[in-house]
Amino acid sequence: MTPGKEFTPYAPRPATLVRKVRLSDFVTLFEFEQDDGRPLAHKPGQFIQVSVYGVGEAPFSISSRPKAGTNSFEIAVRNIGTVTNALHDLAVGAKVGIRGPFGSCFPVQEFVGKDTLFVAGGLGYIPLRSLLRYQLRHREEFGRILLLIGTRSPSERIFVDEIEALSRRSDVEVMETVDCVGDACWEGNVGVITTLLPKVRLDVENTYVAMVGPPVMYRFVIGACVGDQCIPPDRIYVSLERKMKCGIGKCGHCQINGISACVSGPVFRYTDIEPLKEAL
Amino acid sequence: MSAYTVHQGQLPGLFRLWAKLYKVHVPVQTAPGFYDFAPWEPDTEIAWDYDLTVNPLKRHLLPPREDLVVFDTRTYEARGVFQAPQQLLFGVHPYDLRAIAQLDQLMELGSPDRNYRRRRENTVIFALDPLRVAPDAFWSTLGAGRADIGFDLYWTKIGPAMFFVEVGTARGEELLLAAGEVERAGAAQHEAARRTREDTRRRADGHGLKFPWQELPRVMAKAWDAGIWREKSSMCLACGSCNLVCPTCYCFDMREELDESLGKGRRWRQWDACMLPAFAQVAGGHNFRGKHLDRYRHRYFRKGKYIFDLIGEPGCVGCGRCIKACTARIANPLAVFNRLWEEYA
Repeated sequence: MTPGKEFTPYAPRPATLVRKVRLSDFVTLFEFEQDDGRPLAHKPGQFIQVSVYGVGEAPFSISSRPKAGTNSFEIAVRNIGTVTNALHDLAVGAKVGIRGPFGSCFPVQEFVGKDTLFVAGGLGYIPLRSLLRYQLRHREEFGRILLLIGTRSPSERIFVDEIEALSRRSDVEVMETVDCVGDACWEGNVGVITTLLPKVRLDVENTYVAMVGPPVMYRFVIGACVGDQCIPPDRIYVSLERKMKCGIGKCGHCQINGISACVSGPVFRYTDIEPLKEAL
Repeated sequence: MSAYTVHQGQLPGLFRLWAKLYKVHVPVQTAPGFYDFAPWEPDTEIAWDYDLTVNPLKRHLLPPREDLVVFDTRTYEARGVFQAPQQLLFGVHPYDLRAIAQLDQLMELGSPDRNYRRRRENTVIFALDPLRVAPDAFWSTLGAGRADIGFDLYWTKIGPAMFFVEVGTARGEELLLAAGEVERAGAAQHEAARRTREDTRRRADGHGLKFPWQELPRVMAKAWDAGIWREKSSMCLACGSCNLVCPTCYCFDMREELDESLGKGRRWRQWDACMLPAFAQVAGGHNFRGKHLDRYRHRYFRKGKYIFDLIGEPGCVGCGRCIKACTARIANPLAVFNRLWEEYA
């Protein structure tokens, strides 16, 4: 369909908040429905721009899997800036503006028949969840699914029930760790996420890595991944956070050296960003 | 390419006619030694021999603040806003033409920027050959001393009261002939224009890059850890003046506000600057270019390599505006590029 004369990529479409689930003290899951009734038609790893009018617009990775026949989709948000705080203040039934989906996605077809190692640091589970849930929906098409989750402290864990349900499944292997326990009740692993890596045995010839976390995590995990278990770096995919504003590669805010993270990313194959000094 | 000879006496009539159709902007002297583009009025004195305007022309194509969207806070309906005045930019030097041609390409790349496109479509450009070269200019050695595309008419002053005018587009030719017959240029005028350009080029060539500009991305690729980044950026005030006056800088921020009823509002873009500290900072405080050095280097890599990799020419046209505007005297693409050439060629 050719866009009409009045089309502009800068105009958001209305969507309605239909569900809010508190995931931790700071993080909430938001389910929206597009008012035009259409599916968002995203691919795992892509992001959208969400507007709260009067406050502004901010980019969020889509956390739900692509679903045909529904106009609903989910994001999970930490209340840390002006737009995210305004989102947390919204009641069910409130409206937001949506632009996108934008950017690159995890190459789902490439993962078919292979094992997938998910590495989620901090809030990294949120963008990975779209791919993970897609794979679970089409479980028979994929090999082993291993999920490593690292969180700063037990109270900051998100999607706790969902992850516990996953760990009870026989076809998903889940390992979790926290950086420090504090005064919480926690009997699981303690240590940064790299301490989980020696505990998993991978079929390195047959495994893809999908990894999302804070900037500091990538260097350590990629070092460990490549070093000990030797997963070829062209099978490691990461999603990079930047300050996407326009979403179409014009405004310059999300540049990583010569590329725009909003167009060439947010999902990158590690070998594609390895030469970029500003990437990791 | 057809060409005409225009006499000074024909200009008032032409300008009056153009001003009826377009908002006409011309170069004027604003203070001794300082020039800028200003709206043409019947008594405006055009600075035919200006060397460089303080501001580039990007503000007429990508305004400092431009509304993009109006929205309703109750229904959350939003629609695009397009402001595209009919305008005529008269007297644009070739290096500024080159800058506009770059914006044209970058705004079309991938998902086209429709606000820019509409504004550009309604803009007529009459180029003008420079008669003087600004002290900091080095456009000639960047290949930006002459533009072959991107103009409707190209004017060259070939005598005290005579111009050689080359036609770039049918729209330009129509505007030139709108007030009545204009004399076709003969061999003598062609020759006079060539001599004028040659004379300017000779003077401009004396100051500039010490190497062919085509080598720039190759040199930059080796220069990530060059000492000059720390040396220069240690004095950077992070004021963004270099971005502001740069004809090829186009980064923008998105802002919005509600009207007094809080029921409606508008979102606009406004110029932003990669040299400002918070340019690459995300919510939570992480800054992907937190140091002066990171930001200073980024700007030169955009000019010397990133833009080049996209469109095949440097993102710097050698106008020298940033050199003049920098209060800390560190913005200097010529000095930086020449130094990198010496160290890394």
